[in-house]
Amino acid sequence: MDALGINLPGLITQLVSFAILFAALWMVLYKPIAKAMGDRAKKIQDSLESADKAREEADSSREAMEKQISDARAEGQKMIAGAKDIADRFKEEELAKAKEEIKAEKQRAEADIQRERDAAIDGLRREFASIVVDAAEKIVEKSVDQSKHKDLIDKVMKESSALGKDK
Amino acid sequence: MKLLQKPKLLLAIIVFGALFVIGLAGGALGDAFGLGFLGAPIAALQLPAEPISSEPNIGGFHITNTMITTWASIVILMVLGFVATRKIKEVPTGFQNVFEVIIEYFQKLGEGISGKRSTQYIPLVMTIFLFILVANWIGVLPGFGTIGWIETPEDLIHHAEEQHKDLSQVKLNVFNGSGDVGILGFGSVSDTVTAEEWEHDHNIIEDGKQAGILIPFLRSANTDINTTLAIALVAMFFVHFWALRTLGFRSHAKKYINFKQGPIWFAVGILELISEVGRVISFTFRLFGNIFAGEVLLVAMAFLIPIIGIMPFIGLELFVGLIQAYVFSMLTLVFASVAGAAHDDH
Repeated sequence: MDALGINLPGLITQLVSFAILFAALWMVLYKPIAKAMGDRAKKIQDSLESADKAREEADSSREAMEKQISDARAEGQKMIAGAKDIADRFKEEELAKAKEEIKAEKQRAEADIQRERDAAIDGLRREFASIVVDAAEKIVEKSVDQSKHKDLIDKVMKESSALGKDK
Repeated sequence: MKLLQKPKLLLAIIVFGALFVIGLAGGALGDAFGLGFLGAPIAALQLPAEPISSEPNIGGFHITNTMITTWASIVILMVLGFVATRKIKEVPTGFQNVFEVIIEYFQKLGEGISGKRSTQYIPLVMTIFLFILVANWIGVLPGFGTIGWIETPEDLIHHAEEQHKDLSQVKLNVFNGSGDVGILGFGSVSDTVTAEEWEHDHNIIEDGKQAGILIPFLRSANTDINTTLAIALVAMFFVHFWALRTLGFRSHAKKYINFKQGPIWFAVGILELISEVGRVISFTFRLFGNIFAGEVLLVAMAFLIPIIGIMPFIGLELFVGLIQAYVFSMLTLVFASVAGAAHDDH
């Protein structure tokens, strides 16, 4: 032991010296640097996480915006389609109404024509009947009593009206 | 010729070549051929750390030159640690960055072996690495082993007789000039005599010269077994302290004293106990052996090829110092991780 230089005072001195160095380096060097390293790791972790979150938020807001735009576009198209529908319907209604009116006008005109023709025929017949009566009076004068006269007139009237009807 | 186009490089090669040739011729190698004009002295190396003065310093206690280096390393590390952490920056620069790299390296290494449990090992592992590294690196600085006080022949003979050494084997350097403090420089040592010759006739030393051995004030801390043994003891103490804290007393003690699983496991326990002692010894002598051998190599090369012949070996010793610091700290981490692992699974 002595030849190797191992002796108790030397060993104890070195032990104490090394222990002091150990304690001092732990306090002065290791603790602050380990703390700084831990803080930095935590900070980097945090900023990575917040960046992820921000990206997610941006993604979701973009999605929402796209959805809104497509909604608005769909709504606009729906509105245009609706307007077109209404316009079509309005057009058809107007067309139908016009047709109807034209038809009604035509019918009215036809009815007027018919009525005027009837009236004309009626007038003509009356005229003819009175002419016939006049003529018959002149022919038979007193040979025909009142009742036979009446019957004759009715017969002529009936015949004339039948005449007017079947043309 | 490419070399001619780079005059600075050419000049450097010529200067280095000239210095090498001068060193080779003027050193101990040239001495064998009648040259040796530089008079390169060789330092007297011995295993035990030497005291820094002939008298005890405080209350019979000898402060040794390795203690001085130990304390110098401690002061350097504390100052560096203080400088590095005085203003902690979010983006690390300078020494903070260096220490962060070292701490993070061991943290990653520890997490690879034993997961989160390894965090508690890091302060000690870091301290071991830094202390051994700094102590080894300042040990190759100029002035280490070459500046010191001169131990007188009387003291040397006294010590040699205490250790029953043959006086004819104790060599004394003859220093030019007198005084307590000497420097091993070129031409500082003119001759060598043995202690027996000196005791026989004091007058073989000429006037104005003195015989003795230079005891350096500074010596690389890990060339003292006390230092390496102290680090090994602290390391193994904490290895078992952590294992006790992680496993509990019964579980940890069962690894060494095991009666329940038959005689084979009892024998295994005893072997484990022996291997723990072996670890302390291997820790101690691996570091001591490497650094002491490096010291011997540097002294020998400075003796054989002075001036610049030592340069590649200084580089080698810096590398060895780094490797030994790494090996010691990494083994501490591995032993702690293994000792703290639960042994029930095999």
